[in-house]
Amino acid sequence: MTSPASLRPDAGRSAPAASAEGSGSPAGSPRAARYRRFGVRVLALAVLLVLWQLLAAATRNPSFIPSPRAVWDQLVLTSTVHDGTRGYSGHLLVEHLGVSLRRILIGSALGVVAGLALGVIMGTVPWIRVVAEPVVTFVRVLPPLAYFSLLIIWFGIDETPKLWLLTIAALPPVAVATASAVYAAPVGLVEAARALGATRWNVVGDVVLPSALPEIFTGVRLAVGVAYSSVVAAETINGVPGIGGMVRDAQRYLQTDVVVLGLLAIGVSGLLIDAVLRLAELRFIPWRGRA
Amino acid sequence: MPSPDAAGTAPATRQEHAAVEVRDVEHVYGRGSEAVAALGPISLDVPAGAFLVLVGPSGCGKSTLLRLIAGFEEPTSGSVRTAGAVPVPGKGAGVVFQQPRLFPWKTVGGNVELALRYAGVPRAERPRRVAGLLDRVGLHDVAGRRVWQISGGQQQRVAIARALAGDDPLLLLDEPFAALDALTRERLQEDLRRVSAETGRTSVFVTHSVDEAVFLGSRVVVLTRRPGRVALDIDVDLPRTGPDPDELRALPAYASLRAEIGHAVRAAA
Repeated sequence: MTSPASLRPDAGRSAPAASAEGSGSPAGSPRAARYRRFGVRVLALAVLLVLWQLLAAATRNPSFIPSPRAVWDQLVLTSTVHDGTRGYSGHLLVEHLGVSLRRILIGSALGVVAGLALGVIMGTVPWIRVVAEPVVTFVRVLPPLAYFSLLIIWFGIDETPKLWLLTIAALPPVAVATASAVYAAPVGLVEAARALGATRWNVVGDVVLPSALPEIFTGVRLAVGVAYSSVVAAETINGVPGIGGMVRDAQRYLQTDVVVLGLLAIGVSGLLIDAVLRLAELRFIPWRGRA
Repeated sequence: MPSPDAAGTAPATRQEHAAVEVRDVEHVYGRGSEAVAALGPISLDVPAGAFLVLVGPSGCGKSTLLRLIAGFEEPTSGSVRTAGAVPVPGKGAGVVFQQPRLFPWKTVGGNVELALRYAGVPRAERPRRVAGLLDRVGLHDVAGRRVWQISGGQQQRVAIARALAGDDPLLLLDEPFAALDALTRERLQEDLRRVSAETGRTSVFVTHSVDEAVFLGSRVVVLTRRPGRVALDIDVDLPRTGPDPDELRALPAYASLRAEIGHAVRAAA
């Protein structure tokens, strides 16, 4: 019915790659395997929902475990204007989420750029690596909430400390990944480039960075993940609008259904962004795993 | 033999120096009790246009000698000169390694294009030159492919095209066909023989295969086991162009050279 070559994700690849993907399922074609995987996921989700409903019904305490239905109602409420009120705390759910995503985006972009620069320098200049490595590790293990207080003292309570927090949180994973990949640049390829007449800068731009790209991308995905998990911390103070601020407010008023809704919104959007990053990786680093 | 026009256009100063001069070279890896003498003392002159094959048992320092000529390393003692100057990687010599060492983030054509860029070829001229170089090594319609989409033999052809891109007077090859299957290896040997006859540039080729040495070389130097010294230095008096490979291998002179070199290699090991 279908040939492996007609499959979208494998369109740009050779036939062996397509058959390798199919080899995970000896029973059928790759497409059948994909359908099956999708089916399993939907089923797992349904089972989870049923368990959640049963648990909510058993505990009968919506402030403790709100039912799926209550969360759904909150989704509708926070996404509409009702009784003259706009969403939650004057902002629709998508607006809360949008503000948070904007912070995540700016914060991780700054963190990625800074981490990339720092990583390249760390990977190429030995004494800078010696000095910077413990500092980067130090920052990496600090919980964002711990240094947020300091940022508040320095930068007040508006956007600035939040963006700083996310930038600082996103920087270490990229710096560490970049530094290790740059440091471990394949000697053979560097030598080949030099034999072709590459200058020092040519080698960095044409060999070291491209060869580090797969690891850098993993660092970026980690960084965005860290920025995601830090955004709620960043929005603990003056966080509305913002999904973290919304969750925090709801917690104060024991609106557990809104809390759960906020968590779901953060998680689902995080999954989507990671999927986008993975697609970008396939598109921009097709040689991953083949070098 | 260098082609007549190449000899005619060569500047007078060039003729004072051999293409490669190796003088009393010794090379030691490591220090103190860890030190391993890899090479020498060894002296060699390679005249312009020669196809020198270095053959010897594994670990005899033949790759080390090639790396010294390429400028990747400096000799512990003695001196190496290419065209009268201290060799610098990327200046005056194209290098082909045992592994193709292609850049996987570039297409096949992109790999050759990069070499042309480093050689200072203007952007507008590069596509035509890429096609010409790939054509020269017997590749067609692969410029747009990804490196992993072509076979190992084709990858090594691309590596040769890339090494030819700079139009350097010297071509250095370090066991370039060792990792290939027998049939592919023979094909590439034949094509390299043709390409080297066409371009007339000086080549130094490292191998452990006696057959490859006799087939490709205009001169064969057998090295002793570590530290490598010259065990045999012999001119191969076979036609560089003309007879097809099978005829060439059937010549009596081919068989006797093969026997002589094979004997020297076994004695050296």
